[in-house]
Amino acid sequence: MTSTTSTAEPILEVTGLVKHYPLTRGILFKKQIGAVKAVDGVDFTLARGETLGIVGESGCGKSTVAKLLCNLERPTAGSIRFKGEDITKLSGKALKAVRRNIQMVFQDPYTSLNPRMTVGDIIGEPYDIHPEAAPKGDRRRRVQELLDVVGLDPEYVNRYPHQFSGGQRQRIGIARGLALRPEVIVADEPVSALDVSVQAQVINLMDRLQSEFDLSYVFIAHDLSIVRHISDRVGVMYLGRIVEIGRDAEIYDHPTHPYTQALLSAVPVPDPEAREQRERIILSGDVPSPTNIPSGCRFRTRCWKAQERCVREVPALAVPAVFRDTSGPAAHASACHFAEEKQVVPAEDS
Amino acid sequence: MRGADGALLEVRDLKVEFRTRDGVAHAVNGVSYEVDAGETLAVLGESGSGKSVTAQAVMGILDTPPGKVTGGRILFQGRDLLTLKEEERRRIRGAGMAMIFQDALSALNPVISVGDQLGEMFVVHRGMSKKDARGKAVELMERVRIPAAAQRVRDYPHQFSGGMRQRIMIAMALALEPALIIADEPTTALDVTVQAQVMDLLAELQREYHMGLILITHDLGVVADVADRIAVMYAGKIVESAPVRDIYKAPAHPYTRGLLDSIPRLDQKGHQLYAIKGLPPNLMHIPPGCSFHPRCPMARDVCRTDEPPLYEVSGTRGSACHFWRECLDDLDDLDG
Repeated sequence: MTSTTSTAEPILEVTGLVKHYPLTRGILFKKQIGAVKAVDGVDFTLARGETLGIVGESGCGKSTVAKLLCNLERPTAGSIRFKGEDITKLSGKALKAVRRNIQMVFQDPYTSLNPRMTVGDIIGEPYDIHPEAAPKGDRRRRVQELLDVVGLDPEYVNRYPHQFSGGQRQRIGIARGLALRPEVIVADEPVSALDVSVQAQVINLMDRLQSEFDLSYVFIAHDLSIVRHISDRVGVMYLGRIVEIGRDAEIYDHPTHPYTQALLSAVPVPDPEAREQRERIILSGDVPSPTNIPSGCRFRTRCWKAQERCVREVPALAVPAVFRDTSGPAAHASACHFAEEKQVVPAEDS
Repeated sequence: MRGADGALLEVRDLKVEFRTRDGVAHAVNGVSYEVDAGETLAVLGESGSGKSVTAQAVMGILDTPPGKVTGGRILFQGRDLLTLKEEERRRIRGAGMAMIFQDALSALNPVISVGDQLGEMFVVHRGMSKKDARGKAVELMERVRIPAAAQRVRDYPHQFSGGMRQRIMIAMALALEPALIIADEPTTALDVTVQAQVMDLLAELQREYHMGLILITHDLGVVADVADRIAVMYAGKIVESAPVRDIYKAPAHPYTRGLLDSIPRLDQKGHQLYAIKGLPPNLMHIPPGCSFHPRCPMARDVCRTDEPPLYEVSGTRGSACHFWRECLDDLDDLDG
């Protein structure tokens, strides 16, 4: 991973992103009775060559963010600027051109590859949609190059997905994502369907490709350990919003938002001795429904620190006042009225 | 290894095959383990390692055909389950041993209320009336801390969240107070904060009832949290078996070591993960000798020809590696 800082010129800039899915009642006279607030005001930037990890539990809206970034869904409000240009308003040719530059890698390598197409056709399909990316006669060679790049035998072009293992299929999905030489790759849980020993292979591959092709990643996952491994910066999502964002050491070693602290403390660490030094915060209850988001701070219904103010006032995602004048690692954006530093992951001993 | 007497469950040299159109898949190839009352044994392995198939054979819920137990013994409270009639095994299921499945949504019947599903256990096994069984169901739901159990007993599975559904699965397994619980990836489908709630509940109930627990998982983190002992499976065999602390401190098998090195750690940021090269073997063509040798960084000629037995590393540990001593000694070998 490169040591790019977030101060470099951003390649993606997301501001006030909102996606509400309306809930309607009635057949003839449709009436909107509410909305699933999947994404409810998300801001972040992605610098060139950087990896931004987005973590959160199921239903927090992280996959919807991925779809919005790739223009597979139109946002209800907000903007996504790719190199300064708002891509949410684009259509036609301009939209197509932008899509070339932002590609997606999906979670499930079993369902995201068409079983009736050969691997060569799957990886080459982006060239049918964007013929200007590769001249016709050149495509087969390019596909074989891509197979080689992701560590598969170029001779496999005529095989079908079922002839590959899960890890190999994910490599095919990554090769397809690379076909158009995009600048940004949005990876939605790219390794969560894979076995542990194969996960490491795919993560190492993504790492290598990033420096080889100068890629910027948005890496979405629920596994906090994997996200720490691959990310330069990490955003923690809860119920459609980012509650805390910062560099990986800031989030993992100096979290200030109670949700991040609970999330980190709940992750099982594969070391029985480290476990005994850890304090675990077990949250009560479940995540509230995104159709009925609590007032004020959306985490307050599960928070042990919640007070009157949390019911009334929505906390902004900014550096909390207590840390504003410090320059330490706790001074990063955290949406909590009562932010305080708490170390929940034992410090690295080696 | 430990003396066998008094073990609640003793699996001896179990072998299971699946006969398919493409050939015979050797899913379990001589697995032996023991579980005592009050003990938690974690069976760790990747997909296709045979960890779930072994458990299904113990429960007697293997799909036959294509699956078939072709050898070995399963002694439960001293009785060999494989010699029992189906009727007797059915009585043991539920009352003697019970299973918790990974995916509660597909393990529960979607068109029967959870109260009726829980109560069914008491109607069938204990001959209770429906009304009494309903009362028992509420009691069980309270025991696994489902809020407002008396109101929710009439609800259907889809009306519960994932964590609550998994609690219902646990309640169902506990209903007849079995001596042994087999939990097959009980928290894999859950979010991490809910995972911790469910795992804590399971561990607490296990202590309360002094049950034996077999925890089947691929997650080395979950294992470290709750298990007493670990059996690591690879290609249908146990390759390493040890008390939980020993294995994390110093694995005695290169596969275990590779697994531990290949997971990213929350408390450490490495630059390159160690990746075990290659893929798990095809169960129809398991490599000769040590089945791990094509992926092993320590493999030598003898590994390609001679199948390693489970060597005794210490009184409580075993490793199926010809070179377990080296594996324990030069811990830096892999890093080079």
